[in-house]
Amino acid sequence: MNWRSAWESDVFRHYVGLVLGVLAVAGLALSIVTWVFKKDVRSIWATYRSWLVMAPLVLGGIFAGRVVVIVGLALVAGIGFKEFARATGLYRDWWMTGAVYLGIAAVGLTSLVSPPNGGPPGWYGLFMTLPVYVIALLLLVPIARNRTQGQLQALALAILAFVYIGWMFGHLGFLANAPHAYGYLLYLIFAVELNDVAAFTCGKLFGRHKFRSEISPNKTWEGALGALAVSLTLPWLLRFSFPHFGPLQLVLAGLIVGVGGQLGDLSISVIKRDVRIKDMGAVIPGHGGILDRVDSLIYTAPLFLHLVDYYYRIW
Amino acid sequence: MEPWRYETAEDLDQPLVERLRRFPREPDMLVYGLRSMAALTVRGWLRLWHRLEITGREHLPAADSFVMVANHASHLDALCLLASLPLSKLHRAFPAAAADYFFESVPRVWIAAVVVNALPFARQSHVRQSLALCHALLANPGNVLILFPEGTRSTTGELGRFKPGIGALLAGCDVPVVPCHLAGAIHAWPKGRALPRPTKLRLRIGEPRHFAAAVPGKESACAIAAEIEQAVRELEKNHDRD
Repeated sequence: MNWRSAWESDVFRHYVGLVLGVLAVAGLALSIVTWVFKKDVRSIWATYRSWLVMAPLVLGGIFAGRVVVIVGLALVAGIGFKEFARATGLYRDWWMTGAVYLGIAAVGLTSLVSPPNGGPPGWYGLFMTLPVYVIALLLLVPIARNRTQGQLQALALAILAFVYIGWMFGHLGFLANAPHAYGYLLYLIFAVELNDVAAFTCGKLFGRHKFRSEISPNKTWEGALGALAVSLTLPWLLRFSFPHFGPLQLVLAGLIVGVGGQLGDLSISVIKRDVRIKDMGAVIPGHGGILDRVDSLIYTAPLFLHLVDYYYRIW
Repeated sequence: MEPWRYETAEDLDQPLVERLRRFPREPDMLVYGLRSMAALTVRGWLRLWHRLEITGREHLPAADSFVMVANHASHLDALCLLASLPLSKLHRAFPAAAADYFFESVPRVWIAAVVVNALPFARQSHVRQSLALCHALLANPGNVLILFPEGTRSTTGELGRFKPGIGALLAGCDVPVVPCHLAGAIHAWPKGRALPRPTKLRLRIGEPRHFAAAVPGKESACAIAAEIEQAVRELEKNHDRD
């Protein structure tokens, strides 16, 4: 992956067109709702405007190549972790947060380098065993400081944060090392975000029955099932992203996004509801924090990576 | 099993600039890192470009909270006073800065909050609240409050009248106040000039004073302000004598 191969990649070009098209259609639809039906959708406009910034950033990052994707996603994970730490109060413990930042840096680094015994970039073996070493490092923090009070909570939060926000999300960056990186990355990001939008739209239009009322009061069964239907259809429409996929893989890719996307969203919501906050931050107008935006990707990225690795033995 | 207690950051739902604007600010690893680097740069620059000379460092209390008070002629003043403190105090030292000047425009907020670690002082409208903010700061151990009781930069280099607010803050408060005088700043970076000239700067730190016994009130406030002003004048004279 580099800018030259992106320039020559049909998959990349298709997705640029697709994203532009979707943004244009969405803008048109929003305009109609606003000015023809005279509905107050100002909050959705704010969300849409942020998409107009984020979409070029993501496409530009992927265009720039493997290193930019991996480093960029490590930065996103770092900012996401910071939001988590500020929300849960872990940020007061600088040793523990420092150790998690180190772990996130290690995720990026192992995705970048080649294995020592040669082979293409991306040290798969170390990447997959990284939680062992980072958890060992985190356990070392209270021991080195000779502390006990509140350490179980700090440790638990730090381990969850590293494994979930650092490592599982890091799988997205690791996908940049795969042979069909453009197809995998662009499909996954596009499908997961579309799944979110579909859940929101179906919920708004047809939502009647509460889905998980305690965790996310605005989610409905209609929204979730509508999104699942969209996500199961999408791999067939975007088959050019992974021409080697058979029907089984296409169904699984759809299921991972359709089910995993919702679960990722709910997982972050569980954390938010227990901590009693609405959003993880206020970085992205109309979306909340970075974590509120990438929550579904965190859940789906490792599942998708192992789907392709299992069937096509990449690493 | 008791449920865990999460101490969520109080500014969680605010955008970055608002987070820098509020006070007290939540501790932030990145901000601390940037501030430490900026402090090293500023200290090096003051020493090389302005040949900053500091006398009387031994008067700075080691452990307690204390107040530093100085004459005010330029933006260099707060930087010089900060440079006189050990680096370990950097994130606990708060120069009071005019909220109307430093906490309105975004670039100034960045400099005031990240580099200077300023406390926004509303000198025109909410003086009482700002003094309460200072009071709360000094109630915690290990904090340093840097104040310029003239309330504005002098345009002539002459020491102006100290406002009684400083007296109101210190009367009956068991916190030492350290008078300081910085010479040369008016020539180095006078009000209205874009960039500083390489003029020599001399900072003299005086002996700490206590006003814990003073009874809070209008009279004592004026008396304390006058006394500290006198102390700073003495330091100024000592400069001239050298």
